[in-house]
Amino acid sequence: MVQSILGGKGRVWGYGGIIVLILLPLFLPRFYIYLTSLILLYGLFATSLNFALGYGGIYQFHHAVFYGVGAYGAALVITKTGLSPWLGFIVGPLASALLSFVMGLICIRLSKLYFGMLQISLGSLVWAVIYRWYGLTGGDDGIHGIPMPDIIATPNSAYYFTLIVTAASLFVIHRMIKSPFGSALQGVRDNAVRSEMIGVNVKRHQLAALVIAGFFAGVSGALFVVVDTTVFPDMLFWTFSMEVMIMCLLGGWFTFMGPMLGAALIVLLRTFISTFTVYWALFLGLILMFVIFFLPDGVLGFFQKKMKQKN
Amino acid sequence: MDFIYSFISPGFLSQILVGLSRTVILFIVASGLSLILGVLRIPNVFHGSLYMIGAFMSYTISVAFGGGDTGFWLALIGAPIGVALISLVIERGLFQYLYEREHLMLILFTFAISLVFGDLVKLVWGAEYKSVPVPQVFQGFVSLFGGLPFPKYNTFLLFMGPVVAFALWLLVTKTKMGKISQAAAVDREMVGAVGINVSWVFATVFVIGCLLAGLGGALVAPTVSVTLGMDHSLIMEGFLIVIIGGLGNIWGALLGALIFGLTQSLGILIWPQFGIVFPYCAVIVVLLIRPTGLLKSTW
Amino acid sequence: MKKTTFFLVFAVLFAGCFILSHTASAANTIKVGIVDTFSGPASTYTLDVLDGFKLAIEKINAKGGVLGKKIEYTTRDEKFKPDIGAAMAKELVLKENVDILMGTINSGTALAVSEFARKEKIPFFVTYSKSEKIIGEKGHRYVFNMNENTEMAGRAAAVALAKKPFVKYWIAGDDYEYGHAIADAVWNNLKRLNPKVQQVGQSWWKVGEPDLTPYITQIMAAKPDFIIVATGGASMVNFQKAAKATGLSQKIPFYQHTGTELGTLLSQGKDAPEGVYGTSNFLFYFPDTPANKAFVDEFQKAYKRYPKASAIVGYMTGQFIAEGFKKAGKVDKEAFINALEGLKIDSPVGPLAIRACDHQLELPTYFGITKKDTKYPFLVSTENQIIAPKDYMPTCEEVLKHRKK
Repeated sequence: MVQSILGGKGRVWGYGGIIVLILLPLFLPRFYIYLTSLILLYGLFATSLNFALGYGGIYQFHHAVFYGVGAYGAALVITKTGLSPWLGFIVGPLASALLSFVMGLICIRLSKLYFGMLQISLGSLVWAVIYRWYGLTGGDDGIHGIPMPDIIATPNSAYYFTLIVTAASLFVIHRMIKSPFGSALQGVRDNAVRSEMIGVNVKRHQLAALVIAGFFAGVSGALFVVVDTTVFPDMLFWTFSMEVMIMCLLGGWFTFMGPMLGAALIVLLRTFISTFTVYWALFLGLILMFVIFFLPDGVLGFFQKKMKQKN
Repeated sequence: MDFIYSFISPGFLSQILVGLSRTVILFIVASGLSLILGVLRIPNVFHGSLYMIGAFMSYTISVAFGGGDTGFWLALIGAPIGVALISLVIERGLFQYLYEREHLMLILFTFAISLVFGDLVKLVWGAEYKSVPVPQVFQGFVSLFGGLPFPKYNTFLLFMGPVVAFALWLLVTKTKMGKISQAAAVDREMVGAVGINVSWVFATVFVIGCLLAGLGGALVAPTVSVTLGMDHSLIMEGFLIVIIGGLGNIWGALLGALIFGLTQSLGILIWPQFGIVFPYCAVIVVLLIRPTGLLKSTW
Repeated sequence: MKKTTFFLVFAVLFAGCFILSHTASAANTIKVGIVDTFSGPASTYTLDVLDGFKLAIEKINAKGGVLGKKIEYTTRDEKFKPDIGAAMAKELVLKENVDILMGTINSGTALAVSEFARKEKIPFFVTYSKSEKIIGEKGHRYVFNMNENTEMAGRAAAVALAKKPFVKYWIAGDDYEYGHAIADAVWNNLKRLNPKVQQVGQSWWKVGEPDLTPYITQIMAAKPDFIIVATGGASMVNFQKAAKATGLSQKIPFYQHTGTELGTLLSQGKDAPEGVYGTSNFLFYFPDTPANKAFVDEFQKAYKRYPKASAIVGYMTGQFIAEGFKKAGKVDKEAFINALEGLKIDSPVGPLAIRACDHQLELPTYFGITKKDTKYPFLVSTENQIIAPKDYMPTCEEVLKHRKK
């Protein structure tokens, strides 16, 4: 899996990285374990978006909806029903996948920017429903103090749970990209007309990609519930979708680990800039403008290109 | 029965008028958005920020001239021009190098700018609410059917709507500039090939679009409290209007704004508690019937 | 192999830097971490909380601090986003090692931070979030509410309104948690105190709705006697402007919580509507006591502006933190909380106490009507009626019955 991530030396880096991540709680203070958990789940979220956006070429502008629905699904099962929390972690992502399928059906008729705009408006409706439905969702206050099963209730165990689920999800996504389905999807992205000619059902492939992306966004949403034990309507506000696109962009489209790197950069930047200024959005915006200007392929994309040139 | 009564009540007509005055603001802002989308293909997320800056500038100008009537009129002219200057700097300084990039890059770039603007406005104007006084001539209200009041300032808005629409129509159909930009919207390579400086056409269109955002902000300023964050609620509405109207079609923006403004004000009449959902339902109905908007989109 | 070594060295270096940057705090200060929204419309209120707090602790530190330690503070801007706010609270406690958390105007963030404070056993002072869940349903030992909540505001208003002759009421407001909560609180209590009142209709608009004229004309057509307006933030001003433009304020009286408060009236200057009923927990010109005057003068000297109601919340939070530690006699969180329960100290508006049962600060409420005043370039609250805490605070049993367990 890791081989294709960073070229030939990827395996070494990958295994090293996994070992470091496993050992992390032994020597890092709790706050950084929490941050790393956030990075992992945001990274998974961004990777799921990149699956639709980077590999599928679909303008999924409002991806946060599926993240939020996954989180709310899990949170509601845990707080409103007497069912097992573990069931919640399955229901959440499935709800996301279902919503993704329905929204996909409506939007898929349109292409590119039109798709994106319609998707963003439908997503805003989902946000409005969650924001307004006080009885069920707690309205704009959200739901807090969601009880977790004991086995994942401490910061370290929540971290390991996040790490395992994220790694497994990334593995599955990676396998999908390398599968015939993935190749067909990338073919559709590069040239839809040609794909249609050789007998690929373009819309069906795109719809499948959307459902998969929605599902894994839901998984990352459920992970957020594990790490933070809270959900808010802001999780599916459109500005958050923009932030996730920015993670993909910052790390690099078309690279598998790019979105993960982007998530790490955004989380770290936000945390550390905000410790010395209240104007952190200003700096974030400036850094982004800089990246879009000078590193259009993202940080990882930039280094990959450099490496290729060397070879 | 209340439902039927509400339609024949005198409130109905006054509610339509009120809805129309809201339409004017929405139209002015959305037409700018649509213009930029149509010609430059940029989904301009910081259009809302420019609307906010327009309102703040109008406050500053109004205060600088004593907060009276002169201040208001100067603000109405000065604020859009100020916003236009800002947008000119952004277009020449940044955007002109980015037109070849993907839409995705552009939308994120405009989002990044909106982040920067959000904080810059706070740095310049502070966190306090600002208020622009309504000029003397438009203070108070006129009584309509059945004694229901209608603010005088809203009659001024009703007047401004057609004026802006007419000016836009002249600009787009009667000037060379407008014709070139229409052609550029359809096929920009072709326009470049016949020896027209596309870059400056784009700059002009961009500045005009942003000027409209500033004008919208300046017009809305006397009726609301000018605050940080007023950009966020507007930009989504703007995009929805542009979508249901047809991307890049300014008459579509007018139609979309009408639908939005009227469904909202009439929705309040029918079901006050859930008045807000009516415009969104209208958007979904329109998109289900005509997925690419009501009028012909330029793309 | 070389690569692996390189990578490991790099990883260790990286981790080392992390740990080093995680400096232990100096033991000779009491650190307060403030998470709040310092941008967007909410900052009109939060900056006064912060400045009020600064004023208090500067005075305390000038006198040598408390227990020989200075009080330090550090701020984080959560931009009205609960997830960011929660992460910042964690950062403050786990990395900056703050002793006390304070904030925020956003109820969602306040509830999330409160949950974290409960787990970590860190005292958390809620400033300017008005959710009654904070000390009610979600209340616990480590959370303190330093301003009024929706239930308190609603009861205070109902106490005053119940004596008025109005019968037909209309309810209108911002369509979010705060709007509904405050409207319900006013209405339910009003109905309890005066069973004759009836509700003729409701309207709700989305948060941030700029033009409220269509809603107002619709309400006027229904001709109610009185309107309960449940707006918050910038919408307070939007409603008053629209009420003035449509002539509503001359025809039908209406009530807004904080409608008579400086935060709402300042920006409108002389253009604000007269005759608006409102409640506020602090007015810088009323009551005209030496203590209030002294506080307002100090605040004006330091920040060149009049303090809003939120300033007193920040100011009193600073005072209570200092007095709490003084009474506890040591820097110990549990002793500090025990000391605060029932603690009563002097304030610009008379002696104030933190109720032991639910950790709610007992504040007086002023019910008044807006009017022009030649002394100030903006409207003020007149005919002020003081509603004492004992007359309107929900009882301990009423609050605690919301708490589970």
